[in-house]
Amino acid sequence: MRFAKIKQMLLIPFAALLMLVALAMPGQAQAASKKTYIIGTDQTFEPFEIQDKKGTYNGKKPGIDIEILREIAKHEGFKYELKIMSFNADVQALQSGQIDGVIAGMSVTEERKKTIDFSDSYYNDGVVLAVAKDSKIKGLKDLKGKTVNVKTGTTGSLFAESIRKKYGFKLKYYSSSNTSWADVKAGNADAAIDDGPALRYGIANGTGLKIVGKQMSNTPLAFGVKKGHNKELLAMFNHGLRWLKKTGRLQKIVNKYTGKKAVKSQVVADTSIMGLLKSNAGALGAGLWMTVKLSIVGIIFAMLFGLVLGIMGIAEHKFWHGIANVIIYIFRGIPMMVLGFFIYIGMPTVIGHKIPLFTAGVLTLMLDEGAYIGAIVRGGFESVDVGQWEAARSLGLPYYKALWKVVAPQGFKLMIPSLVNQFIITLKDTSILSAIGVMELTQTGNTLIAQNFQGFKMWLIIAVMYLVIITVLTWISNYVHKKMKI
Amino acid sequence: MVEKQEQFKVQVKDLHKSYDGVHEVIKGASLDVAPSEVVCIIGPSGSGKSTFLRCINKLEDFQDGHIYLDGIDLADPKVDINKMREKIGMVFQHFNLFPNMTVLENITLAPTQLGKEDKQTAIAEAHKYLKLVNMDDKADVKPSTLSGGQQQRVAIARALAMKPEVMLFDEPTSALDPEMVGDVLKVMQNLAKEGMTMIVVTHEMGFAKQVADKVAFFHGGVIQEIGTPEQIFDHPQKEETKSFLDKVLNV
Repeated sequence: MRFAKIKQMLLIPFAALLMLVALAMPGQAQAASKKTYIIGTDQTFEPFEIQDKKGTYNGKKPGIDIEILREIAKHEGFKYELKIMSFNADVQALQSGQIDGVIAGMSVTEERKKTIDFSDSYYNDGVVLAVAKDSKIKGLKDLKGKTVNVKTGTTGSLFAESIRKKYGFKLKYYSSSNTSWADVKAGNADAAIDDGPALRYGIANGTGLKIVGKQMSNTPLAFGVKKGHNKELLAMFNHGLRWLKKTGRLQKIVNKYTGKKAVKSQVVADTSIMGLLKSNAGALGAGLWMTVKLSIVGIIFAMLFGLVLGIMGIAEHKFWHGIANVIIYIFRGIPMMVLGFFIYIGMPTVIGHKIPLFTAGVLTLMLDEGAYIGAIVRGGFESVDVGQWEAARSLGLPYYKALWKVVAPQGFKLMIPSLVNQFIITLKDTSILSAIGVMELTQTGNTLIAQNFQGFKMWLIIAVMYLVIITVLTWISNYVHKKMKI
Repeated sequence: MVEKQEQFKVQVKDLHKSYDGVHEVIKGASLDVAPSEVVCIIGPSGSGKSTFLRCINKLEDFQDGHIYLDGIDLADPKVDINKMREKIGMVFQHFNLFPNMTVLENITLAPTQLGKEDKQTAIAEAHKYLKLVNMDDKADVKPSTLSGGQQQRVAIARALAMKPEVMLFDEPTSALDPEMVGDVLKVMQNLAKEGMTMIVVTHEMGFAKQVADKVAFFHGGVIQEIGTPEQIFDHPQKEETKSFLDKVLNV
């Protein structure tokens, strides 16, 4: 009889899950009318992609790729929406159907042709070797025993892998060029192999590296769609590209970024901490808000999920204990980043439609943090004196009434310190979601540094911002704790 | 022999209980309790007497045997144990009051939650039982501010508020300071006078002598001997009973 109420409680999070899935639906529903293509692109990868201060590509100097895409879309009359991820995630998202196409300074390689249908090439690119300004390395021959940085999944990394044995160097992989170069500048690595235009552009904007030797390869760059899919999009792109080439517009775009009068990225005049704060206030604010939003929604869903797991873990019927154990075991055992990739990039292939980024982020937090909260809730219930159960049951209270009226209130009190701790961890863990491209505080930092190259000061600012919100969260929970004690 | 279970309030028949499936802690114990009868169970520590008592409201499961309350068998899986427990009050050695509620809330919780009484009635009734155990002035405090003796009297009031037909006491004075024992025993004695059916596991031999209608000596997982207080204390039949009484009475 009372079981019905518990069942209802168990249902809430499942309903929430369904809601999340429902939120994911519109992505598909739109398809019928005028299709908006989802195009994946890289984070700032000059000169092909240059994010503005807010992390978008809506500005006047968004990079070669974005300008090409803009002109073609306009000419061919299709709509698109950009998804900004790491290049590696782009390629995976393309395969899982999360995005319809990729334009990200992507080289045409035999390997990629197996899974991607490429457009005609719009640019010829080659990789170069770069070292710190004061380095004695003059070419590939000096690399024996040295460490070379590359960006995961790029032509630069493929090229480096192919000559690694011959020259006897070690490879270190990064997901963004900027971090890879900063690492070389800091002296942690000896050299970087990366796309020529990108490196030249970066050096022009103060990365503190220099290029040694000549361009080492010559590869065409192109737009790509998943093999056998989005044929009409590919055709439109090619048609538009031919028009761009014929009218000389393509050359104009390329010159804008690589010619003598090439644009420089927004030079930050004031690189003091106050100056950086002022010039990036909008972007940092947006990132902070996303982190707070993710944390709050994530904590709420994780708490609901954890509560269900905790109640299952001490349910009257032992069967549920086993289920709860398995769920907790699985989600505590999977690193959150893997879970994030699995949900955002892996799941769509299985369920057949896209999962919005925010939903994927919240789902990841809910499952991962919820598993920990489940263990905390179960532990809290279990540490209530067994005499409390016995007294309640001896009065004739059924199991779940005894749990809800007598054991749970005492258990929650015992849980509070652990729960507060878990909330703080959840807040910090939102930064892991930067891996799937959620534009939260950490990802904002990545983007900003890609533009202003102020790694130390920017990360300091971001670290302090995290500390501030965690302090606020701790204050709030201490206040609630005190209130509950009275 | 024809079993006339109805003439007993509580009847335990050939009860077997083991925790691990191998070693039995209760090895075929039986007990008949007539309405309004007070039975004290005495015996050495670890003899299984508390376990036996806890089987009567099924706080402990048992493997074999029957427990009848007004002729209804608790061993029958179709019997709603929650309904049966409403008729069996229990008082614990460590009181087990709910620390997150006031004294009054401790008492009104079960009657209101189980739909026995509306809130108004439950509160009025609670005050009545608190007066009975002489604790009405503490109705609005949290249990943690009370002494052990006071807590135990509240625990008795809490059990009585469900208007049980039988009361089980599991060493109700063992955890109390000596000066608190008297108050609790007096409450129990009054209860007995008013005709409550009681089964009391106790080490208080004085109480057993004075209040019990029957005293049962529990040893080795069974009731070895049962009789009036005079029979057990003055003329024990079994060697085990004699040696146990020697030890506890000659301290």
